Amino acid sequence: MGFFDTLAQWLGVKKREVSVLVVGLDNSGKSTIINHFKPSESKNHDIVPTVGFNVERFKSKALAFTAFDMSGQGRYRNLWEHYYRECHGIIFVIDSSDKLRMVVAKDELDLLLQHPDLKNRRIPILFFANKMDLRESVSSVKCSSLMGLEQIRDKPWHICASNAVTGEGLSEGVDWLSDQIKDLIESRKK
Amino acid sequence: MMMLKRDKKEEEEGGGNPFSNLERSSVLQEARTFNETPINPRKCGHILTKVLYIINQGEIIGSTEATEAFFAMTKLFQSKDPILRRLVYLGIKEMSKIAQDVIIVTSSLMKDMTGKEDQFRGPAIRALCSITDTSMLQSIERYMKQAIVDKVPAVSSAALVSSLHLSKSSQEVVKRWVNEAQEAVNSDNIMVQYHALGLLYHIRRSDKLAVTKLVSKFSKHTLKSPYAYCLLIRIATKLIEEEDAGSSSPMFDFIESCLRHKSEMVIYEAAQAIVQLKNTTAKDLAPAVSVLQLFCSSPKPTLRFAAVRTLNKVAMKHPAAVTACNLDLENLITDVNRSIATLAITTLLKTGSETSVDRLMKQISSFMSEISDEFKIVVVQAIRSLCAKFPRKHSVLMNFLASMLRDEGGFDYKREIVDCIIATIEENPEAKEAGLAHLCEFIEDCEHTVLATKILHLLGREGPRTPTPSKYIRFIYNRVILENAAVRAAAVSALAKFGAHCEELMHSCIVLLERCQMDTDDEVRDRATFYVNVLKQQQRALSSAYILNGLQVSVVGLERALHHYTLEPSETPFDMKTVPLATQPIVEQKVRETPSMAGEAVSKPDKAAATRQDVYQEQLAAVPELANLGALFKSSQPVEITESETEYYVQCVKHTFSNYIVFQFDCTNTLNDQVLEKVTVDMEAADGFEVVKQIPCASLPYNKPGTTYTLAHLPEDPTIVTGTFPCTLKFVVKDCDPNTGEPDDEGYDDEYVLEDVEVSVADHVQKVLKPNFAASWEEVGPENELEDTFALSSMSTLEEAIKNIIQYLGLQPCERSDKVPEGKSAHTLYLAGIYRGGHDALVRAKLALDSSGGVTMQLTVRSTDPHVSEVLATAIA
Repeated sequence: MGFFDTLAQWLGVKKREVSVLVVGLDNSGKSTIINHFKPSESKNHDIVPTVGFNVERFKSKALAFTAFDMSGQGRYRNLWEHYYRECHGIIFVIDSSDKLRMVVAKDELDLLLQHPDLKNRRIPILFFANKMDLRESVSSVKCSSLMGLEQIRDKPWHICASNAVTGEGLSEGVDWLSDQIKDLIESRKK
Repeated sequence: MMMLKRDKKEEEEGGGNPFSNLERSSVLQEARTFNETPINPRKCGHILTKVLYIINQGEIIGSTEATEAFFAMTKLFQSKDPILRRLVYLGIKEMSKIAQDVIIVTSSLMKDMTGKEDQFRGPAIRALCSITDTSMLQSIERYMKQAIVDKVPAVSSAALVSSLHLSKSSQEVVKRWVNEAQEAVNSDNIMVQYHALGLLYHIRRSDKLAVTKLVSKFSKHTLKSPYAYCLLIRIATKLIEEEDAGSSSPMFDFIESCLRHKSEMVIYEAAQAIVQLKNTTAKDLAPAVSVLQLFCSSPKPTLRFAAVRTLNKVAMKHPAAVTACNLDLENLITDVNRSIATLAITTLLKTGSETSVDRLMKQISSFMSEISDEFKIVVVQAIRSLCAKFPRKHSVLMNFLASMLRDEGGFDYKREIVDCIIATIEENPEAKEAGLAHLCEFIEDCEHTVLATKILHLLGREGPRTPTPSKYIRFIYNRVILENAAVRAAAVSALAKFGAHCEELMHSCIVLLERCQMDTDDEVRDRATFYVNVLKQQQRALSSAYILNGLQVSVVGLERALHHYTLEPSETPFDMKTVPLATQPIVEQKVRETPSMAGEAVSKPDKAAATRQDVYQEQLAAVPELANLGALFKSSQPVEITESETEYYVQCVKHTFSNYIVFQFDCTNTLNDQVLEKVTVDMEAADGFEVVKQIPCASLPYNKPGTTYTLAHLPEDPTIVTGTFPCTLKFVVKDCDPNTGEPDDEGYDDEYVLEDVEVSVADHVQKVLKPNFAASWEEVGPENELEDTFALSSMSTLEEAIKNIIQYLGLQPCERSDKVPEGKSAHTLYLAGIYRGGHDALVRAKLALDSSGGVTMQLTVRSTDPHVSEVLATAIA
């Protein structure tokens, strides 16, 4: 990175670029969450199942995110791993109203955590217990126990309940994620 | 673009290709840079260009490597840099076939395709269609439909062209987009209109009626795009060709009306289309030719070139039509563009009269050295047709060809000249000596082995029959001393032929051949030793059989027979007669199609390609009931014994063995709601024949050809060989569902009457070319000679009589006796062949036109077997 870029970053004019991976089962609301962060003029009104992946950019208060919004359909999940190596953080979206497939989500999470590209990295993982507005949804605490999140010891993680349609709970989660990533980058510099 | 410019600059400065020394593994290693964040568009663009370069150079990248590079490339979607993004689209298209899981970019491309950036949308559609297969197409269908009718022309064109590509694999889905394509035809943009018309035509291509409607509809209301007009003309031309309609068709009127279009492109296309139609009269051609004539004086070189090239083609078929343009063509001879000038001259050569030949030849020779080989070939071809047209001019033309042979030129060019000289020699006996002399001179300094061997072969065949054969010996022997092994071997064979043919030269030839026995090459030594021994026997029969006639069996067949013989050790010596003969008819046809092959006619069977007969032999051997019949003697051409558009379509091929005849029936069931089972052909045996066995075809589903065989024993009496067999197709019908092909359990017997199958004399005879008919005639001797005179009252010309005799007897005409010199009223036809059982059969037919308008024939048959003579002598009656 050139001198001007460093200067600009120091002055806070230009934000640091990081990339995050958005994964989760199909119909859990990944694209809707990303859509929420986009500036209102480029918002997409009609969200269709993603095939493959989409790249989106959005900004939080300290960082500029490049989000790889991956497809959650069963036959594309094996493609997630191609993007593990370069990401700085992971957003794992859970459909908290779909108790039946919670075990499938847990399986996918275990596979992700065991992957050689992620296993030994202290990479922050943010969980969204999405669709909190639905009546049959479970609480974030119940969700974390169903997913066995307490087993994760070597990575910082955080779960927050969210409603991607209204945007409730999303910014809280992303703030946590940006703090974590910033810390990680700081500590790596030292 | 900046990147490309910079590369170009580097190229100019460095004077070389910056990508010339790229190595696949290092480039793929570099491609990992794509994974870095943030992305450096300039650097990544450069690397991606390198990847594209190596793919386009034909480097093969393994699937794993390609997939890795592909996924690295997908990360470049982060960057919004337009150059980089468009390179990524190219990368996706190139790698869509070699990498796996390319589907990953679907959503990203769909986003770009529907996005705001117009310059991304078109390329995104193209890339998307290259990664989409039939199963995925449904999901993008809606977007494709929208894109086709998009108001941005680039997007619409991209969608239309991509649809065209998709229709190769998913015809059904693309068919549903016809309404959108229909709408796009009305676009104001000329490219969109052209592409939309292309797609519309493609969708309806198989439906002739719809295509006709399409053309008549658009020919009425005016299209804007000249490209679309050109396409419409091509479609109309195809329709006329399919219907064989000629100039009476309304399509033709449309094409003709295009001659008055304001765009030159359309006018040219229409003229070109009219000229290429098959059955056009001079009157139909006239407007097209006059348009081309106007183009000849156009200031644009492309138009002049196109016009003169088309006129050149017309001149081959309708020289009279082009004569009107002669004046314009004369002006083009001095055109600054050499290609135009060459074409103009060659066209003039075709249309010109005999008197202008000398002048034109002089003009060509003035710039022969300045034009490329490709055009020199055009000139040679023109000269070749001149040689055929004006035989009297052969000395001028031969001299010209000889001087061209001496000049520099590539292999194709030289081969064309040699072929031309050979063809002239064969067509025109007067040109023979001069031609052979030129060829002799050419091989003195010829770097092409193929041509040298070809000429030596020709010398061996033609040389001995010239008045002074001895003068060629020196040229041939020079080759033995100076050339490589292949040419030496050919020269040795040629020498032996001189020895075998001319008594007075035999002694000298033996002396020369004996010297060759010391050669360093095995093949040359073997040939020389063999020929010396054969010649020393001093027996005409022996030398004509082993030197002049060459190998007459099929090489593939011989190989198989010998292999078979070595597998089963036996006391009896190997019998050449069991080997199937080389099928002469196929070679014969080829010779007619391309006159340039004429020189090779005899050497052709040496090429070890499996002939049609070898294929049949294998097929029959695979049927257990037919495997023990011995060697296949002859297979006839397939004969249709039903009309081609009936419910069941049957073709018959007759296979003759020494004691049996096998009828092979290739049946096709054209009813999609029936399955036929136990299909046989019932034949009523003709006199003396005995139907021994029928081998049914177990099942005959819709549109899948099946084969059934009927085996008949030939009559004991060797003089009865012909007969007529009435045939009936018998089978069990089971109805079935047209869609699934599931048959019902119950079926019923049915039959279908076929046309009669004829067994004629020709089925018992295999064509064999005897290069020296007189020698063979003497060799067989008058022992079994039969002679008879016939009056063929139904024939009015000698050509017709000859054609019928050849067809009826199935023998090979020798010494070019099937061609009657013009204006002669008497002719002698020499025919040779081998009769079933391996007996030589020779026929000499003296034909004369008689005063009543018929043809009188004196037929003399000689054979090694008395019955054969009888069969052939009575065949005509």
